[in-house]
Amino acid sequence: MTDAADVVIVGGGVIGSAVAFELAQRQVRVVLIDKGLPGRATSASAGGLWPLGEAVGLGCGVIYQKSRSNEEGAEESHPGVLPEDFQHFLIRSNALFPELALRLREFSGVDIEYKPGAGLIFLIYEEAEQHWVKELRASVPMADGVELLTPAEVHRLEPHLTSDLLGAALLSGEYQVNPMALAEALKRSAIQGGADFRPDTIVRQLERRGDRITGVVLDDGIISCDTVVNAAGAWAGQLAASVDIELPVIPVRGQVVLTVGLPSTLRSCLSTSACYLAQKAHGEVLIGSTTEKVGFDVSVTSQAITSMCRGAVRAVPMLRRVGVKRVWAGLRPGTPDELPILGDVPQVTGYCNAAGGFRTGIVASPLTGRIVAQSIVGETSDVPLDPYLCKRFSNRADSVGN
Amino acid sequence: MIRRDVVIVGAGPAGLSAALTLAERGLRPTLIDENPAVGGQIFRQSVTTSGTGAIGPSSDDAQRGRQLRRRMGDVQDKIELLTDTMVWGIFGDKQVAVKCSDGWQMIHAAHLVLATGAYEYVCPFPGWTLSGVMTPGGAQSMVKSMGVLPGKRVLVAGSGPFLLVVAGQLQAAGVEVVGVVEAVRRRDMLSQVGGLLACPAMLRQGWQYIRALKQNGVPLLWGHVVTKARGDGLVREVEIAPCDQQWRPVSVCRRTVEVDTLCVGYGFVPRSELASLSGCRMQYADELGGWIPEVDTSLQTSIDGVWVAGDGAGVAGAVVAEAEGTLVGLRILAELDQFKTSDLIRTEQRVRARLATLRRFRSALDQIYHVRAGLDDLATKETIVCRCEELTLEEVEAAAHFGGTNQRSLKVMTRLGMGPCQGRMCWPAMARRIACQTGKCQDAVGPISVRPPAVPLTIGDLLNESNSLDLQAAEALRVEV
Repeated sequence: MTDAADVVIVGGGVIGSAVAFELAQRQVRVVLIDKGLPGRATSASAGGLWPLGEAVGLGCGVIYQKSRSNEEGAEESHPGVLPEDFQHFLIRSNALFPELALRLREFSGVDIEYKPGAGLIFLIYEEAEQHWVKELRASVPMADGVELLTPAEVHRLEPHLTSDLLGAALLSGEYQVNPMALAEALKRSAIQGGADFRPDTIVRQLERRGDRITGVVLDDGIISCDTVVNAAGAWAGQLAASVDIELPVIPVRGQVVLTVGLPSTLRSCLSTSACYLAQKAHGEVLIGSTTEKVGFDVSVTSQAITSMCRGAVRAVPMLRRVGVKRVWAGLRPGTPDELPILGDVPQVTGYCNAAGGFRTGIVASPLTGRIVAQSIVGETSDVPLDPYLCKRFSNRADSVGN
Repeated sequence: MIRRDVVIVGAGPAGLSAALTLAERGLRPTLIDENPAVGGQIFRQSVTTSGTGAIGPSSDDAQRGRQLRRRMGDVQDKIELLTDTMVWGIFGDKQVAVKCSDGWQMIHAAHLVLATGAYEYVCPFPGWTLSGVMTPGGAQSMVKSMGVLPGKRVLVAGSGPFLLVVAGQLQAAGVEVVGVVEAVRRRDMLSQVGGLLACPAMLRQGWQYIRALKQNGVPLLWGHVVTKARGDGLVREVEIAPCDQQWRPVSVCRRTVEVDTLCVGYGFVPRSELASLSGCRMQYADELGGWIPEVDTSLQTSIDGVWVAGDGAGVAGAVVAEAEGTLVGLRILAELDQFKTSDLIRTEQRVRARLATLRRFRSALDQIYHVRAGLDDLATKETIVCRCEELTLEEVEAAAHFGGTNQRSLKVMTRLGMGPCQGRMCWPAMARRIACQTGKCQDAVGPISVRPPAVPLTIGDLLNESNSLDLQAAEALRVEV
């Protein structure tokens, strides 16, 4: 069986679906392929829209930095501040959500559960943490928007939080969505716009002729196309490698715990050095997340579950009495500099990355979908694609290596 | 973390037989069950109480129960019995996470025997969510364990010999059983009598059940299905219709029966979550009730040292379960190099021969009773198919239309299986329906994605890692079994 399309997108997670949606809006004939196997990052995300939190390192990056500093044996950890251009990327992408939620609802009937709340609260337990936050506010321009709260102010905002705190940092305007509903709404809207969705389909490899990618190879045939978009998440590196394209994306496992549904308990999202918490629209509280480099293993471990739950109970003591509904893991597409890898690669045509969303894939998805689509159809890009091209790694290797 | 040579999960006929086989030959297995006493669903009372009582199982079952009880009495100090204990997860290589009274504890098992039994297969139809509609097993445990009558006028419907057992027990407890409605047509059952003759004693037992119903004036209606239940919150009447070989109702002949309770169940689904959490390779076996672990001829799964026995390895009833448990016990003895005497080798040969005979009987039963396609069409657009999330068939089918072709994607799209039952109730029937809608086979639609915790567990439980297992075991052994 041979098929043809303008663009084939490999990967039906939030990024692939966002690209499909944007391309379908531009009347491009697109095929969206999803393998439907467990472990995708979209399904193990909290759905936090914390552009500022991630930009200045007070979102889920806190846990990442802590685990990294533990690996490297550093005495204390610091928030990992992302580069300024990506800070703006996240802010800009996040700003697209209010309108996107309405459009997706109209196109697909799916509610992405975009819920404005009090914001994101980073809980300060220790002097060192208080110190970082003050330092951040002084040194990072973007961190102006971080407001310091006293324990009494925290309590007024979130009565269920522990009172055993030095204080908290409030990032107001940082909300959440249901990440799975978001991916679903984007996908369905793409289908409504004419995209051809192939569920439970595995792309064995890409098809390459000389310096051109000409299609994707499935178990039962080939789909030929002008451009292949690699949105294969944690598997993107493997897919690229099938045609000798080097793409430094590795799986970073994140385990999450979901409680049973509760009445409204938390208005804001919480971030701590042990875990983050977000109460979702159906009342369940999502507790995340580990950052482990263990290959493609999507199993869960009792150690990780208990340590996250300990962190959750420290932050919100009443959770001790709450039932656990499910525990699972997803594989984030990690990159060496924690930034996405988008756009084309040197010396190959017919190929476009939409990869490496790591821990900002959900909030970055609207803008990522848009600029990847823009680059494919040759429109002017909303933001420069340059900082996210894959070639940044080869440049770096040249300069560092010699 | 503590270590044990053999951990057996489930103390029904399969798990109990495995434990006894090991204990009688000098090993000290750990036997875990979520209930307060051993025996499983079938022998619960006959093993733990001295008499079988008025509403006990049939004489053959009671006989087997008595025998297990006697053997248990002889070796009880050689079994580490953990009752009221649930397995909430299996991690890594046979690390069994158990929830006990004071938190949880991890047991590393060299050999793990999963003897977890089966659930009843429920199939959605209009009115099935009304109060007073329940499974036969639900009604049975109301009568047996709680001493409560499920209703005054009860119709027992569905398929399989279990209906006859429950109808008898309900009647003995004083309930008016207005009838037993069996989906299989009498002639389709009779065409398999040749296979059933492989085990004349079991066939005779079946006839005894039927005769007892007749003597008590309970009509047994072959080749009929329940198509609808009606009532105002509470079930008041049930619509039944004759059906064809595929259990498809013949609409013109519908009639209604007035009841206050409907027990309806179409056989059993293997409870194979723990095998799945152990990482065992799973397969779909329609005749055996659903997804089961792949096993070799000794009932070892694809994971070295993980064994399955009983209904959890494929629904086949208590007699097969007992023999399978014994076989697994013997094979573990062999693996642990305790298999030296010719006596044991002969015992294994005998058990294998017994299983071979039973296999002919059970495959005839499977042919007769395995769920037919007609049931899949009973639900209408408005019928709730996922009770936890109150989803209608229409909503699920719309999601399937948008590419939700396995449980994972349907869950994301509709929350099917996101409720407390985690898909155990709704998925078996929905999988059949989706397979039908998308023209796929059940293998392709896939099983439910099983995640810990396999049993209810609070965050507080998780934070209490206990080390009291040995103490608790000693305590449990003092309880009379």
